[in-house]
Amino acid sequence: MKVAGNIDDVLITHALGSCIGVTVYDPKVKVGGLLHYMLPDSNLDLNKAKKTPAMFADTGIPLLFKSCYKLGAEKKRMIVKVAGGASILDDANYFRIGQKNITALKKIFWKNNVLIDGEDTGQNYNRTVHLDIATGKVVVKNSGGVYIEL
Amino acid sequence: MIDDKFLKSIKNLPPFPATVQKVSALISDPDFSMMDLVGVIEYDQAITANILKMCNSAYFGVRHKISNLRQAVSYLGRENIVRVVNAAGTSRYYKKAEGYYIDEAAKLWEHSVGVALMTQILSRKIYGREDNKLFTAGLLHDIGKVVLGEFVHESFQEIMGLVTDHGYSFLEAEEEVIGINHAQLGGEIAVLWKFPREIRDAIAYHHRPDLMEEGDDAIPWLIYLSDQACLMMGIGGGVDGLAYRGLGEVIDKFNLRQKDFEESIVLLLKDLEKAKELVDLVESESKG
Ligand SMILES: [Fe+2]
Ligand SMILES: [Fe+2]
Repeated sequence: MKVAGNIDDVLITHALGSCIGVTVYDPKVKVGGLLHYMLPDSNLDLNKAKKTPAMFADTGIPLLFKSCYKLGAEKKRMIVKVAGGASILDDANYFRIGQKNITALKKIFWKNNVLIDGEDTGQNYNRTVHLDIATGKVVVKNSGGVYIEL
Repeated sequence: MIDDKFLKSIKNLPPFPATVQKVSALISDPDFSMMDLVGVIEYDQAITANILKMCNSAYFGVRHKISNLRQAVSYLGRENIVRVVNAAGTSRYYKKAEGYYIDEAAKLWEHSVGVALMTQILSRKIYGREDNKLFTAGLLHDIGKVVLGEFVHESFQEIMGLVTDHGYSFLEAEEEVIGINHAQLGGEIAVLWKFPREIRDAIAYHHRPDLMEEGDDAIPWLIYLSDQACLMMGIGGGVDGLAYRGLGEVIDKFNLRQKDFEESIVLLLKDLEKAKELVDLVESESKG
């Protein structure tokens, strides 16, 4: 996880796979953060979650918001975008990490009244996410080389 | 039958370093001598240099600081020597990887190390022990991509089109467009390099272990599952992304639950950090 309040910064995370990239940005103070979490639920390994809370949705997302508050961001102004959560083909009866990661995120946001302002999730390709702290622009590049702005 | 142009191309690959096979042979003798082992390895400078880069890695858990080959051989222990030597010998092929799968060779190598590490975690979970055959097969499983990349330049859009618009898996699209997939080609390379049959099968069937007709399919299934975990975690993720078939029968085959799989992934992420020196054997141009 990275947070920044410097307009020269561009936060980047690579090759998300089934993991999820969450960006938050407060346009007023130009503070933003990017979380790359891997798994839905920290109950899997509480010790690991203590050491690296950013690994799990339920420990990483609160940490992302709190870290941005420390730099002056406010919840009511936060713009939230998400990308990733890709799946293996025909995964109906399979290990559905991508799906579970998406569901975990939506549950947490729903409970905390957070709206998602832009989303590119699911499918079966890798994504790289960029957050430009100067403008708040979020660009997702997929593994086929296509760029989209969220 | 495999096309001539592929056969030609794999014959142009440098031969697999004989040192690796010699070490495996020596070590399979329970009374092998450390001095013989050092003698075989030090003759190969490239492998020796790579071993020295890796041997202090936290992954091998050696408490002493190792600074020469003799110490490496005596402190690493039998199982780790096999791993180190295999990684040292295999990594060179990934330095030259190019083409459509990967923007950098380093990613394909990182993926291969990730799969090798995951095979050990799953093997411990399922069988209660580690297994070097799996480690070797993990390092080599995508070796076909190194060669296939050369043939794909122009047909890449066609392959992507089949995947995006027609529901093909990447493997099926490779077959349709180029006539062979990277797993089959990798199997042929393993034959050429005189790897035992189980390693060859593990490579050739790593995306479709369900299609194996004879022989023990446990190794291919474990490589398959380890590969899937790395695809999901984006470890060395390439343009093929996650566009491979999920084969639900693997769950019953090893009696695994979702929780087991996720726990293994946590261990994998830990091991990847510890094994940084292995990943770094193939240097990335722009690490970010
Ligand atoms: Fe593969
Ligand atoms: Fe792979």
